Amino acid sequence: MSRMKHFLRTYKPFTRAGVQEMIAYRANFICFFIGEIMSAFIMYFVWKAVFLSSDSESFMGFTMEDMVVYLFIAFLTDYLTYSDGAFAVGEEIIDGSIAMRMIRPCSFEMCFLFQELGNRLISFAMIFVPLVGGVEIYRYAVTGAIRLDPLCFVLYLISTVIAYMISFYFNVCYGFMAFFFKNLWGTTLLKETVVSFLSGGAIPLAFLPSGLAFVLDILPFASLRYTPIMLYMGMYSPAQIAWHLALQLFWLLVMIGVSKLIWRSAVKHLSVQGG
Amino acid sequence: MRRYLRLHRIFVVQYLKRLMEYKVDFLLGAFGLLISQAIQILFLGVIFSQIPDLQGWTFEEIMFIFGFSLIPKSIDHLLFDNLWMVGYRIVRKGEFDKYLTRPINSLFHVLVENFCVDAFGEMLTCVLLLGYAIPRLNLPFYWYTIPALIVVVIFATMIYTSLKIMTAAISFWTKASGHIIHMLYMTNDFSKYPVTIYNKAVQTVITYVIPFAFTAYFPASWFLTGKDPLFCIGGTVIAGTVLMAIALFVWNRGVNAYESAGS
Repeated sequence: MSRMKHFLRTYKPFTRAGVQEMIAYRANFICFFIGEIMSAFIMYFVWKAVFLSSDSESFMGFTMEDMVVYLFIAFLTDYLTYSDGAFAVGEEIIDGSIAMRMIRPCSFEMCFLFQELGNRLISFAMIFVPLVGGVEIYRYAVTGAIRLDPLCFVLYLISTVIAYMISFYFNVCYGFMAFFFKNLWGTTLLKETVVSFLSGGAIPLAFLPSGLAFVLDILPFASLRYTPIMLYMGMYSPAQIAWHLALQLFWLLVMIGVSKLIWRSAVKHLSVQGG
Repeated sequence: MRRYLRLHRIFVVQYLKRLMEYKVDFLLGAFGLLISQAIQILFLGVIFSQIPDLQGWTFEEIMFIFGFSLIPKSIDHLLFDNLWMVGYRIVRKGEFDKYLTRPINSLFHVLVENFCVDAFGEMLTCVLLLGYAIPRLNLPFYWYTIPALIVVVIFATMIYTSLKIMTAAISFWTKASGHIIHMLYMTNDFSKYPVTIYNKAVQTVITYVIPFAFTAYFPASWFLTGKDPLFCIGGTVIAGTVLMAIALFVWNRGVNAYESAGS
């Protein structure tokens, strides 16, 4: 118990710094958010046109209502699980300031994690209610009934937290690799597009050929975004829920393991000149 | 003018030399853009596998508009990408001092300093899309189709660039405006699809307020159908000219308001 207390006392200041940083730059955040959410609205109009042009009520098993929920919850999940806190690792290795982190009496990834949690907390506070509220009002207006299932909602929250942790450790690994590349803009764009596609950000995985969809469902990327969305929408049976949550935990452990390995070998090869 | 053209060449050559040092990064950047466009096309492919047309637009027509939208976008991206840096960093860090001490126009210097080869990813997609769509479409062809294309591309690029100049210039007052450039720039995605799929409010905004519809849908629809040349082509010319005039005005006011970083 006291160890837990000590742990929290050590890292609480990082979270506070993250919160303050986010509040200081909230105008930037909101502008970025508006810029990004426009793509979700474009997709909304595209889907509306698709359903108007199609004779049937559903498109490959998705109704217009499902599609709207999918688009906006995918967008929300992407924002909540976004992680770039560890991105600075690469830069710190190059300029040597990583040495400062190594002599501190705290773990390097925990510092990043708790600082970013502060960031996520504020973005959660700013966008979660408007997005979920908007989606549910839309569903109520279309169907005339409250469609949000509390159990699905709780499962979504649990799954999103795991997804964030996977995303965090995945990006720690990426941060280590990024320092080989100079064009971070291009590399990051490439990574984010590929991850977004593989995690169902562009198209629901269910729309892909069944063999491909099956493989992508098992890969870690689905755990980042697709699983939480499907849970929110109540698309899974109890057995599928258990399987997908277990799969998420499995990938989380793998990512933690890989990031630890990379960190260890990086420390061994690290040489910081001067100081 | 001559002098400026010569300077432009020198800047590009300088940039290409820097680029050769980071060949892999260049390829990754271009590849990233190519993939991100390819995924959107895959998405359209999935949609069209289920429906014959999208509110009257065929797959080939949508590909044509999509590809067309990338022409001005990629040209602006290739040549004038440095404006982002003005919004994100150059003004905030006081690095803009450099441009004021040179004996050339500050805006010209900012524009030509960087040459963003990532844009080749978009250009390649654009060529592939148009190469796919044009032979499959029965486009009307007149003697003035090619001159009209050149005019449209120039003015459509001006729409992009002047919106970026305006929003980048905001940083002269607020120190940083990268997020505002981003917000406005993202609106361009609306232009990839026929504006007829949007509701009236969105149509009005992207036609008259942030006229990205003139960078793709309107001119592209003229090339597709030959209807409404005055609005489709004339509108692009007017939008590009008006925006550029406003952009230059805002930029010049901004440069006067610039107060460096102190220290």
